[in-house]
Amino acid sequence: MNAVPGYTLPSIKYKQKATIATAVAFVFVGLCVAMGFDPALLFTEFHYVRDLAGSMTPPNFKVFWSDAGIYMAIAESLCMAFLGTLLGGLGGLALAFGSAGPTMPWKGVRMVCRGILTLLRVIPTLILILIFVVSVGIGPFSGVLTLLLATIGGFGQLFTQVIEQAEPKPLEAVYSVGASRVQVIRFGLWPQVLPSFIANMFYAYDVNLRAGIGLGIFGGGGVGFQLFMAIRLLHYKEAFALICVTVVLIVLMEKASDLLRTSLLQKNL
Amino acid sequence: MIEVRHICKTLPGGRRVLDDLSFTVRKGEFVGVLGASGAGKTLTLRCLNGLLKPDSGSILIALPGGGVEDICKVPSRKLRQIRQRIGVVFQGYHLVKRLTVLENVLVGRLGQISTFRSLIYGFKDKEAEEAVAALEKVKVAHLAGARVSSLSGGEMQRVAIARAIFQNPHLLLADEPISNLDPSNAKVIMRLIRPLCEEMPVIGVFHQPEMTAKYCTRIIAIKEGRIVYDGQPVLTQEQLIDIYGEELRQIENHNHERPVL
Repeated sequence: MNAVPGYTLPSIKYKQKATIATAVAFVFVGLCVAMGFDPALLFTEFHYVRDLAGSMTPPNFKVFWSDAGIYMAIAESLCMAFLGTLLGGLGGLALAFGSAGPTMPWKGVRMVCRGILTLLRVIPTLILILIFVVSVGIGPFSGVLTLLLATIGGFGQLFTQVIEQAEPKPLEAVYSVGASRVQVIRFGLWPQVLPSFIANMFYAYDVNLRAGIGLGIFGGGGVGFQLFMAIRLLHYKEAFALICVTVVLIVLMEKASDLLRTSLLQKNL
Repeated sequence: MIEVRHICKTLPGGRRVLDDLSFTVRKGEFVGVLGASGAGKTLTLRCLNGLLKPDSGSILIALPGGGVEDICKVPSRKLRQIRQRIGVVFQGYHLVKRLTVLENVLVGRLGQISTFRSLIYGFKDKEAEEAVAALEKVKVAHLAGARVSSLSGGEMQRVAIARAIFQNPHLLLADEPISNLDPSNAKVIMRLIRPLCEEMPVIGVFHQPEMTAKYCTRIIAIKEGRIVYDGQPVLTQEQLIDIYGEELRQIENHNHERPVL
């Protein structure tokens, strides 16, 4: 009978796992000490949170009757997220097709597309909004541009991986009937990646809706900007009403996108 | 007609997988290619469709409009044109699972329509009717609207054959078309492929000598990249041992010694 190779013995594997777990525990404790991690602070400084909560409650929902501009801000937030997702998704898809091996035969083009995606991914969103606020001014347009570039960077890379993981056998079958490269992509690859594209686009919309509200604070327009102004003017009760609306809006949009995504994926797309 | 002349292929690691293979297959012939795993059967088939280029030799194929082309030497555009009329049935079906059965069959004629039309307009109603007719030939027309992912293995293989038929091919290649199927479905598929040889040369790779004996008109056996048998479809036990190796004899002996329960 052949001997079990040393590296596959259960006792050796146990020692390896124990060594890794110990190392991870040491790193974790070390990082907590270095970052000044102190859970007690949450309780000793809690009176600030209590004071703020006191000044924010009850929320002033009357603002929705007195200020029609809030509805415009909500519409702005929804549209910002929609445009940023749609344009960013299409841009990300185009760059993903340019970056993936099965769709782009030229290595040079693949490297350029991958470089653009990496560049867009490493620039923080807050830097992007600051650049666009300076270049196109405060408002929803700068928010749309920021979300667009963030979506291209974030989802372009994801789409590249989806394309590269597509099953190669159907592609070979389409190729074997004399189809052109474009036809192979359309009829062999596209049906495979489309469900992932749709699912991720809905997820991107959810992410962009939340990010868009955050960007409003930095001049991106929408509900975020209204919220920022309310806090700055110390209208805390109005701010809390806006937070409530934001939460409801995000939950509703998540549910709506879930329903739409499920119905789209069940169809023969 | 397809004529293979002295093709050789060596893999990057230096292993010679095809060693001076030569044979000719004509209309009316259903050739079964036999051989142990790794003998070079699938590689041969891939060379016949131009999916793999041999290092040397030539593969002459008769074109529908007359004339003969060597698919090892034609430019890629011409190779695409030749492939339009070579039907291939793959071992793992190679269907696009998210498309419907009808759409998968229509894919068979993609090479015969312009890229622009396929992207913008798609297929014509007449082509869809012809695709359904191809599905009727393999008796799965009732599944035309179903998504391929919902089909069984036997049904998928029938769809793959319908796709090849819809191509209106002048040569049919089948790579282990029954290896994933139960005996009943395997017989159905062989009965579907067999009559096609009256319209075009059919070459299939198989691992079932009893099936090739029953349905093929000729056998080519490959061992270590060389043809070791080319002739009648019925093989003797000694010929099979020569093709598959001495282990087959040991298995046969073992089976004979086993008590009947």
